[in-house]
Amino acid sequence: MLEIKNLHVAIGGKEILKGLNLSIGVGEVHAIMGPNGSGKSTLSYVLAGRAGYDITEGSISYNGEDLGALAPEIRAAKGVFLAMQYPVEIPGVTTMMFLKTALNSQRRARGETDLDAVGVLKLVRAKAKTLNVSEEMLKRALNVGFSGGEKKRLEILQMALFEPKLAILDETDSGLDIDALKLVAEGVNALRDPSRAMLVITHYQRLLDYIVPDRIHVLAGGKIVAEGGKELALELEAKGYEHIVKEPA
Amino acid sequence: MSLAVATRKAGAAAIFGSHGVPHRRVEEWKYSDLKSALGEAGIGTGQALWQAGTLLDGVELFDLSKSNPPDWVQKHFGVADRNIMGSASLSLSDGGVALRVAKAVLAPLKLAFDGNGHVRGLLVLEAGSSLTLVESVGIADFRNVGFEIVLGESASLEHVRISPESGDAVLVEEASLRIAAGGRYRGHFAGFGSKLSRMELEIALEGEGAEAHLSGVAVLDGKRHSDVTTHVIHRHGNTTSTQRFKHVAGGNSKAVYQGKVTVAKGANGSDSNQSAKALLLGENAEADLKPELEIFADDVKCAHGAAVGDLDAESLFYLRARGIPETEARGLLLQAFLEDAVAEIASTDQRELVRTEMLTALKRVA
Repeated sequence: MLEIKNLHVAIGGKEILKGLNLSIGVGEVHAIMGPNGSGKSTLSYVLAGRAGYDITEGSISYNGEDLGALAPEIRAAKGVFLAMQYPVEIPGVTTMMFLKTALNSQRRARGETDLDAVGVLKLVRAKAKTLNVSEEMLKRALNVGFSGGEKKRLEILQMALFEPKLAILDETDSGLDIDALKLVAEGVNALRDPSRAMLVITHYQRLLDYIVPDRIHVLAGGKIVAEGGKELALELEAKGYEHIVKEPA
Repeated sequence: MSLAVATRKAGAAAIFGSHGVPHRRVEEWKYSDLKSALGEAGIGTGQALWQAGTLLDGVELFDLSKSNPPDWVQKHFGVADRNIMGSASLSLSDGGVALRVAKAVLAPLKLAFDGNGHVRGLLVLEAGSSLTLVESVGIADFRNVGFEIVLGESASLEHVRISPESGDAVLVEEASLRIAAGGRYRGHFAGFGSKLSRMELEIALEGEGAEAHLSGVAVLDGKRHSDVTTHVIHRHGNTTSTQRFKHVAGGNSKAVYQGKVTVAKGANGSDSNQSAKALLLGENAEADLKPELEIFADDVKCAHGAAVGDLDAESLFYLRARGIPETEARGLLLQAFLEDAVAEIASTDQRELVRTEMLTALKRVA
């Protein structure tokens, strides 16, 4: 489903990713772990198509298509979803209105008809309940005044609503206490599906206790430096990144 | 015309005579060069028109072109104007409309100014009365409106003025307001620009607890220009003023906001908050924001802020990453940017009206 080959990415001329290789098959859950500054967030942004992240070498193939050539909104319509580490606050746009606009934009891009307000509301309510997202939150301006946990729950709600084929979760555990973390992880686990791939990016092993990956990759200095099964997370937790990352990051 | 009114007109003629048509070297008109916009045609002496909607119970109307004005007109007409263009309309116009409100009027009153030339308006709200005034602006080559508004004790006025996109029109209006103790004024000014459009407000808070809340949006494209210039004077202590203006300028347009707040000597306990923000959507668009404070009292609370920027790249990416196409995402963010200024309009109907105009204009700009 996702095939990244020798990916080099620069921001403002400074190279951050330096020849990254990664392959994720349909239905698989992969985790990327790595110390601060290793390029984890750069990878997530370049997959979602943020401006200013220049692919200088290598390729990203998504279902056989050159992902790097597509606008962010086209990637979203084709099933790429990035749950962001810092969801943006947008005063003046209500959460519900945003969800409806986003959902219908994706449907339109796929040649499907719009859902009316009632249809969207029903769909959102059904998903919101299990994620403990209140009606009141949906009426508020998007992410404005939301706690860290509320923001992350809303990200997962969107993931449930948009039903992506490739979900990338960037530091979804950051800023969450253990109860909030469990709730978010349950939401993610409920979306595990044989037709869906996930890439979980995290600094800490903690999240991987709840979202157990099929495969773990260690990112350091802009490259994958180690790979293994879920037991690799425990090894990292016990011995730290320095043990595995031999080259200076 | 009474002797008192004749004297006021003569005084106004003298003020305008000594200044002439304002141009960019006159500080208050720096960003809106009226003289050059008018060219050789100048301001002329024509009589512009007015039209009032259905007169509601509790509202009295006097046509200023008629003789024998009632006492309330003689008392209030032509008292407030000291600025250049207000003086011009006072000395040059022989017509206009005077309205008096004696009680709480629930339905909105419509008032339109139209045609070329000069025209005067006077609105007097007696103590304890209230009104929603919906002012519309007709297209003309040149029009100069001089509007005086008097709020008696505890009177309340909501004023909404929409100035539509008006091509090559040159439209200026000067409103002078005097607000007595407990009086409450809310004014919203939505501007979609023309060759030159200027709304100037001078507001005197004259009694304990008087309040003025000003807000406005401008959405401009092409070569449109829109100027809101305000001067709020806290003459009495424990008075409050707020200002919230949001402007979006695309193409080669120019959005101007000049806001001066004066707190007079002894007006302690005055509270003033002023915010003006503009988004520039093109390299050739211009926004001029000039907040100004002049404080002669000791114990006051005054805050002001102004910012000019571009759309937030992070917000734009967030919306696009969730599938919203770029043009639509930009439109959504612009709408969100303007929203808090529109939200200042208390009446739901008027708020929706402004929002609809705003969305139409945003489609041209985004």
